[in-house]
Amino acid sequence: MSTTTGSGSLASALEAQRERLLPCVHCGFCLPACPTYNRLGDEADSPRGRLHLMQAVVDGRLDAGSDAFHTHIDRCLGCRACEPVCPSGVEYGTLLELARETATRARPQGKLTRALLAVMGSPALRAVFFLGGRTLRSLGVARLAVRLIPAGARLGGIRLAFAMLASSSPPGRRLQKAPVNAVPSRAIGAVAVADDDSVGPVPRGSRGRVAYLEGCVQRGLFERINQATVRTLEANGYEVVPVAHQGCCGALHAHGGDLRNARRLAGANILVFEGVEIDYVAVNAAGCGAAMKDYGTLFESNQEMSTRAEAFAAKVRDVTELLSQAGPRRGAPVSCSVAYDHPCHLLHAQGVAQEPLDVLRAVPGIDVRLIDRADECCGGAGIYGITHPELGGRIGRDKVAAILREEADHACTPNPGCMMQIGAGLLLEGSSDVAVHPIELLDESYRRAGYYSATGDSQ
Amino acid sequence: MTATPESVVHPSSDAEVAEIMIDASREGVGIFPLSSGHRAHPVRGERPYLELSTTRLDGIVEYEPADLTLTARAGTSLATIDEALRAHGQWAPFDPPNVGERSIGGLAAVGDSGPLWMGYGELRNHVLGMTVVTGDGRMLSLGGRVVKNVAGYDLLKPMVGSRGSLAVVTSVCLRVYPEPSVDRVLLLRRDRLSDLVAAAHSVGTAPVMPVSSVLVDRTGVNESPALVIRLHGVEETVGADQASLEGHLGIVFEQAPSATALCTAVRDRGATSNVVLVASALPSALSEVIRALERLEPETIVADTYAARFRVGLSQADPEAVGNARASIERLGGTLRVARFPADGAEVGPTSEPSPAEKDLIIGIEKTFDPMGVLWPARSRR
Amino acid sequence: MTRPLAPDVVRGLTEIVGAANVITDPDRLLVYESDGLSAYRVSPRAVVLPGTSDEVAAVVTLLHLEGIEIVPRGAGTGLSGGALPTPDGVVVGTARMNRIIEIDPENRLARVQPGVINARLTEATQPYGLFYAPDPSSQSTCTLGGNVAENSGGPHCLKYGVTSRYVTGLTVVLAGGRIVKLGGAGRDSAGGLDLVGLFVGSEGCFGIATEIEVRLLPIAEGVRTLLGIFETMEAAGHAVTEIMGSGLLPAAVEIIDRATIEAVEASIFAAGYPTDAGAALVVEFDGTEAGLDLGADRAEKCCFEAGAREVRRATSEAERAALWKGRKKAFGAMGRIAPDLLVQDATVPRTKLPEVLARIAEIGERYDLKIANVFHAGDGNLHPNILFDRKNAEELDRVERASTEIMHLCVDAGGTITGEHGVGIDKRGYMSLVHNETELEMLRSVRAVFDPDRLFNRGKVLPDPLAET
Repeated sequence: MSTTTGSGSLASALEAQRERLLPCVHCGFCLPACPTYNRLGDEADSPRGRLHLMQAVVDGRLDAGSDAFHTHIDRCLGCRACEPVCPSGVEYGTLLELARETATRARPQGKLTRALLAVMGSPALRAVFFLGGRTLRSLGVARLAVRLIPAGARLGGIRLAFAMLASSSPPGRRLQKAPVNAVPSRAIGAVAVADDDSVGPVPRGSRGRVAYLEGCVQRGLFERINQATVRTLEANGYEVVPVAHQGCCGALHAHGGDLRNARRLAGANILVFEGVEIDYVAVNAAGCGAAMKDYGTLFESNQEMSTRAEAFAAKVRDVTELLSQAGPRRGAPVSCSVAYDHPCHLLHAQGVAQEPLDVLRAVPGIDVRLIDRADECCGGAGIYGITHPELGGRIGRDKVAAILREEADHACTPNPGCMMQIGAGLLLEGSSDVAVHPIELLDESYRRAGYYSATGDSQ
Repeated sequence: MTATPESVVHPSSDAEVAEIMIDASREGVGIFPLSSGHRAHPVRGERPYLELSTTRLDGIVEYEPADLTLTARAGTSLATIDEALRAHGQWAPFDPPNVGERSIGGLAAVGDSGPLWMGYGELRNHVLGMTVVTGDGRMLSLGGRVVKNVAGYDLLKPMVGSRGSLAVVTSVCLRVYPEPSVDRVLLLRRDRLSDLVAAAHSVGTAPVMPVSSVLVDRTGVNESPALVIRLHGVEETVGADQASLEGHLGIVFEQAPSATALCTAVRDRGATSNVVLVASALPSALSEVIRALERLEPETIVADTYAARFRVGLSQADPEAVGNARASIERLGGTLRVARFPADGAEVGPTSEPSPAEKDLIIGIEKTFDPMGVLWPARSRR
Repeated sequence: MTRPLAPDVVRGLTEIVGAANVITDPDRLLVYESDGLSAYRVSPRAVVLPGTSDEVAAVVTLLHLEGIEIVPRGAGTGLSGGALPTPDGVVVGTARMNRIIEIDPENRLARVQPGVINARLTEATQPYGLFYAPDPSSQSTCTLGGNVAENSGGPHCLKYGVTSRYVTGLTVVLAGGRIVKLGGAGRDSAGGLDLVGLFVGSEGCFGIATEIEVRLLPIAEGVRTLLGIFETMEAAGHAVTEIMGSGLLPAAVEIIDRATIEAVEASIFAAGYPTDAGAALVVEFDGTEAGLDLGADRAEKCCFEAGAREVRRATSEAERAALWKGRKKAFGAMGRIAPDLLVQDATVPRTKLPEVLARIAEIGERYDLKIANVFHAGDGNLHPNILFDRKNAEELDRVERASTEIMHLCVDAGGTITGEHGVGIDKRGYMSLVHNETELEMLRSVRAVFDPDRLFNRGKVLPDPLAET
C-alpha cells in the first residue's frame, strides 16, 4: 500500500474536502455522462474513478504525485456532465479544482499549461498574446497554416492551435447575407417561432443596470460578441455600465488547479465590480460565468471574502439569461438554420439550457436544430485539444460529425471556447464555416430591424 | 423397436419417488416419468424400464390468492387448479392443447405455454418454484413461492421444458393472475392461410399487443382459415384496443359469437394427430414457414404468430419430406421438432437438434442431474 | 497484497487488446477495487478491456491457460459485490463493447453488445415505438451484460417480468475461450434445455455474454401515476393488498417509509412529501389510454378505503417525475445523511409484508440502527437500508448482526435472501438459509458444466470456500 510522499502539502486542498467526497456512494450513475469514460471504457477515466482516486489520496493510499493521479485528473475535461446525474449531489467541479491543485503541488503541470495560465493571469502578456493572435488571424496566416501543416503530423497541436485561432474570425458576410424572410431556409424539424411579438420597445435602464465581464479570450478575439452583448442588452431595456480595470475572472486558473491565482484574480475583479452600482454582471462565456457564480465556494475558507464573493456571485448571469428574462424582444428575420450545441459550463455547471434557445427564437426565420448528444462536451475544455490531442480530437470529431449531420447553415453555441473548438473542428474537416454565438444572430436581427439606428426606436 | 414398460409405478410421496429412483439406479432399470398418463416420446433401447406415474402426487398444497401464487403437487390437473383459481377470480394464463386434462407437473416438464404467452409471458416465467427428484434420487427444492425467487443459479429454467430428462417433478409453485373482466375474441377469415399472413404481421407490429394471435387452417368443419386475436381487459380498453388494431390493419374484425368454444377448438386443433410437429421461426418468416410446412400435406396447421411457432398435425410422416421441411426452416433460422410420435413407432424423419456446443452443455447438465442415466429420454440422447 | 501478473501474460494480453486496454499499474487498479457495493475492496491483478467477442475469447483462452481467475465486470453498479475483484483474478470489463448491433422492429428484437447501457437501448428503439422492459433503478448506467448476469428487475417488472423473460439468445465465451451461441428468438428451446434461461442470472460464474438478443415491447399508449400518502405503514400495506386483490394489474407499486421520507425531505432532493406521513405509496398504470383513468380511479378508491390521507395523481410527464422523485432519489438522499449505507435486498410473500416490516423496525430498535425501507411492494421485494458509519467498528458489527437477522426473518416468512441484487459476495453466507447441502452441491455441479476449473468469478454466489479450492 502506498503512502503519501514528501510533499506533505497534500494535507491541503483535498484533505480538507473529506466532507465533499463522502456523499459519493459509488453508484456509478455518472459513468455514461462522462465523455472520457464513454470513449476509453476505463473507470479511472470516469467521475466515480476520479473521485475514488481523490479519496485514496485523502486516505493516504495513493501518492498525489503518482502517474495515476496525475494522468486521470488531468485527463478530465471538467465538463461537469456528471453533476446533474449524481443522485447524491457530489460537487464534482469543486473537487476537481482542488484535486488539480493537489496534483500540481505534488508534480508541476506541463509547460504549455503553465505558460498559458501565466499569460491569462497578466494583463500585459495577455494584450501582447491576443494582439499577435489577431494579427495572424487577419493576415490569413492561421487559415493558411491549417492548410499547409499536414494532418496527424507531429505538428498536429500547432495546426489545431491555428485552426482555433482562425475559427475565432467573425462570420461576417455569411450572416449578413442571410435572406430576410420569416420562413426558415429549411423548415424541416424547425422549432416553432412564437408569432406574437408581445415584447415591444422598453425604456433603456428599466430592467436594471448591468456590468459585463469583458473577459480575456472574448476581449482578445471576440470583441464583436462583447459589442453584441452591450447592444442586445440595451435593446432589451438594460442599462449597460462600463467597468474599467477589470481583469481575468480566474476560471482557467481554477479549472487548472491554480487556486491561489484564481483567488487573486477573482478577488481583484470583485473589488472592481463592487465599485459600481449594478443589479447584474453579464457574462457571455460559459466557463467564466460558471466560475463567477461559484466564487463563494472559491473563498469558502475566508469568512469575510466569502460573503463578498457570494454577494457578487448572486448578481452573475449569462447574457442569455438576462435576455430571456426580458422576453427577449423580437427582431427582423434572419433566415437561416443553426445546429445548436449546449456548452457544458452553461448546461451542467449553471443549469442554463432554455435561455439561449429563447434568444434564438426571438429571431424570426431561424430554424434551430438541436444536435445529437448536444449535452456532451465538444472537447474544447480550454486547451484540452492541444494537451490531449488524440482523445480531444476524437471527442471533437464526434461533435463536428453531429453538427454536420444537421446540414445547417451555421453551428451555434453560446460560448467562445466551444465556438473555437467547434470552428476548428469544422475547419479541419474542410468546412470554411465558423461557429456563431446566439447573441450574434440576435444582434444581426436587431440591426436589420433598425433598433440600433441613430434615432433608435428602442426608447 | 420401441420397448414396452415392465410396469407402471404410482408413488404417493417425494420420498417414494426418491426410493424408486435410487432402486432403479442400483438395478440398472430405466424410468420414464408420466405425468397425466400421456407420453409423446417413443422409448428405444434394450434395458428394462418402468413408467413412473405422478397421478397419486395430487392436490393443491398452498394457495394464497392475495399473493397470486399457488403450489400444487405434480399430478394435480390443470382443471382442478383452474377451478380453485376461478373461485377467487384468478386464473393461470396458459393455453397449450388440452390444458385442462394435463397435470401441472407434466405441463411444467413439457414447458408449453400456448399462444397466451404473448400477453402473459412463457410458462417458464410463471413457474416460481418446483420440488423435483433427480435421476439418482436426490430431492431438490428449486426457486420458492415469491415472484423474485432465485438465490443462486436459476435451475428452474432448464427444468421447465426438460421433459423428464433431468428429474421427476413432484410439485410446482405457479404465479397466477387476476381474471380479465373481458375476454374478447376477434376473427378474420380468408380463403387461404397465406392470405392472412399480412394481417398477422401487422398485428405483430401494432402499437397494441393482444394477449394472443393465432393463425388456424380451420376452426371447425367447413370453416375457412382464420386469424384469431384475443384481447383482455375491461370493456373500455378492449374496445379501444380493437379500434386501434383495426385502424392499424385497415380491416374490421368479426367478433366471435361463442368465444370459449372457438378458443378451445383452436387451442386443441390437431394436437392429437398421429404425428405432431412443432416448427419455430422468426415472425418475419411466417410465409416461408407456411410454404415449407404445406409441402408436408398436413391435416392441421395452427400458428402462434407472435412467436412464429407452428403446430402441424400429420396423419403420417414421410421422413424425406420432414427432412426437407426441417432444412428449409433451419435456413430461415428456425427449428422443427416432433411433439408427438406416431403410435406405431414409425420413423418421422430428422428434426432439429441443438448445436454441438449446446448439446455438450445439455449432456453435462443431464449427467449432473441423472448421473446413472436412469431417466429414459436423457439416456437416448447420449 | 495482489501478485502482479507475469510479464509474458501482460505481453500476451497487450497483443490481444492493445496496451491502452490492459491496466496493471496498482494505482490505476484502485478504481476497480469495488463495484456498487463499496463495503468490500479487493484490487485485481489487472484489468483488461476487450472490444470484441473474439478479443474476449482470446483473453479468456490466455487466462485459462495460465490458470488465472476471471472476474467479469459491466458498469460495476451491482449491489452484492458480484463484480468485486478476487486477489488472484483479472477483471475483464465490457465497457468498450457498447454497440447496438441491430434493431429488428419487424420481429421486435434487438441484438447488442454487453456494454450497451440499458436506457440507451430504449432510447434507440423509441423511434420504432418499442422499448426494452426491464428497468433496474440504475438503468441510466447499468449495462445489459450486467443485467444478464444478475437477471435484473426494476420497479416495472411487477407487470413486465425480469430480464430472463426478455433475453432470447446469447453468444457467450466459456472457459477455455470457447465461443458458444445459445438459443435465439427463432429457435425452440423445447428441443433441448433452456440454456439461455440458465445462463441469465448466473452472476458471471458461467462465462461472459458477448452478444445479447432481447425482445422488445410496444411502448404503452399512456401512463397514470398515483401517489398515496398514509399515516401508517400498515395502512399503505393494506392499500397494496386491496389494489393487487382487486384484479388490477399495475405496472409498478412502490412504497417508501417514514424514515426514507424524512431523509428525502431533509436532502437537496426534497420531493414535497409530508414529513409526518408514515408511508408514501406510488402506483403506476400503463397501457391503453381508455382504461387508465378507470384503473387509477379504482386504485385511488383502494387507497382512501385503506385510510390514505391524500392521493395525488400525475397527468403529465413532469408531474409523473415529481411523484416518483422521492422514490427515485431515496438512495442518493440517504447517501447525504449518513457516511455509509447498506442497501439490503430480500423478498417475502406480499401478504407477509406488514408483519415483516414491523419486525424489521423492531430489529432496528434493538440494535439502535436507523433502518429506512424502500420497496417494490407489488412483488414483496424489500430494500431495507441500514445507515451507519463504517469507521465505527462497534456500529459496523451491529449492522452485520441486524442484517443477518433480517435475512433470517425474510426466509422464515417464506421469502428469500435476494430479490434482484443477486448473491455475489455479500449474500454468499446466507445461501445455506435457502438451500441445503444437496442443493448447493447441485449448483456447484451445474456451474462446473460451464466452467470446470471454476475460473469465472470464483468465490461468488456459493458458500464454502473448501469446494472452491
